[in-house]
Amino acid sequence: MAIPTPREEFIAGARAITPVLLGTIPFGFVAGVASVASGLTPVEGMALSILAFSGIAQLIVVQLIAANSPILVAIAAAAVVSLRHLMYSAAISPYLAHLSPRWRALLAFLMTDQSMAMTPMRFNEPGDKSNRHWHVLGTSVTLYLVWQATVLIGIVLGAQIPASWSLDFAVVLTFIALLVPTVRTRADLAAAIVAFGVALAAAGLPYRLSLVAASIAGIAAGMAIELARRAPREHCAGRR
Amino acid sequence: MTTWLIILAVSIVTFLLRASFLVFADPHRFPHRFRQALTFVPPAVLAAIVAPGLLLRDGVLDVSASNERFVAGLVAIVATIFARNATAAIAAGMSTLWLLQWLGV
Repeated sequence: MAIPTPREEFIAGARAITPVLLGTIPFGFVAGVASVASGLTPVEGMALSILAFSGIAQLIVVQLIAANSPILVAIAAAAVVSLRHLMYSAAISPYLAHLSPRWRALLAFLMTDQSMAMTPMRFNEPGDKSNRHWHVLGTSVTLYLVWQATVLIGIVLGAQIPASWSLDFAVVLTFIALLVPTVRTRADLAAAIVAFGVALAAAGLPYRLSLVAASIAGIAAGMAIELARRAPREHCAGRR
Repeated sequence: MTTWLIILAVSIVTFLLRASFLVFADPHRFPHRFRQALTFVPPAVLAAIVAPGLLLRDGVLDVSASNERFVAGLVAIVATIFARNATAAIAAGMSTLWLLQWLGV
């Protein structure tokens, strides 16, 4: 079979991310509306979105700017809500380590929850892997452009979609769609269930620290099951 | 001015966290256990993101059949397992939620 060209991989990546965009669109809209509502100018709101490219960080930061918080507080809050990116960075690095620093910096800048979930899935498929970073780029660039467009629409329209439409739930549903295929073994399932439970138990923590606590607990649970089995069936990220 | 400083600083911080391992570390040197642990990042983090969206209502835990989002989320999970695609999950989840809200269960 012919090796997929960079262009084919890019287009396949863009296609693969398309259903997930159904959740990105209302989220981006909300982030745009929030930045205007917090008193940022349209240019400031777009700059934050273009440079930081993180829905949760954008929402938190505009709230803190509105509250006249000190710079260090805003930076610390953005760092804490983005701690999961540290884990994502480690999780996808084995698949992308062969790339040039420039490529890795580009894919890091464009990293999202979605690309973190989809990168291992694409790389674990059979076949030639040499152009698969273009698949990651295709998913990432598509998501980036759609995100910026929807933030812009939120900033320009500035109005809320009626809450009764419950479009915010589409965000949760896209995360369910990303989550389910990542659960392939019993250890994965244990990681998901424990993280789910701890996220609820720790929900009172500020700055979404519950997300960090839950993630670490989930990873520990997955490792515990993996080690308890002792079976030497390898399950390593980036095994080539 | 302060707003622009915050925008720039936050952008640098979010980039550095994303770049951390991917740009500055060599995964071939990761200890074996660490690499194993990394395979659990996707299911753990994604489940942690999903949980409050399904079961917290205004910060309060609601595990009951009257929690429409919980029921719709379960339907979406089943739909994803069988259909293996995101469109099915979103269509099944949103239509269930709208149906339950319309019925006023």
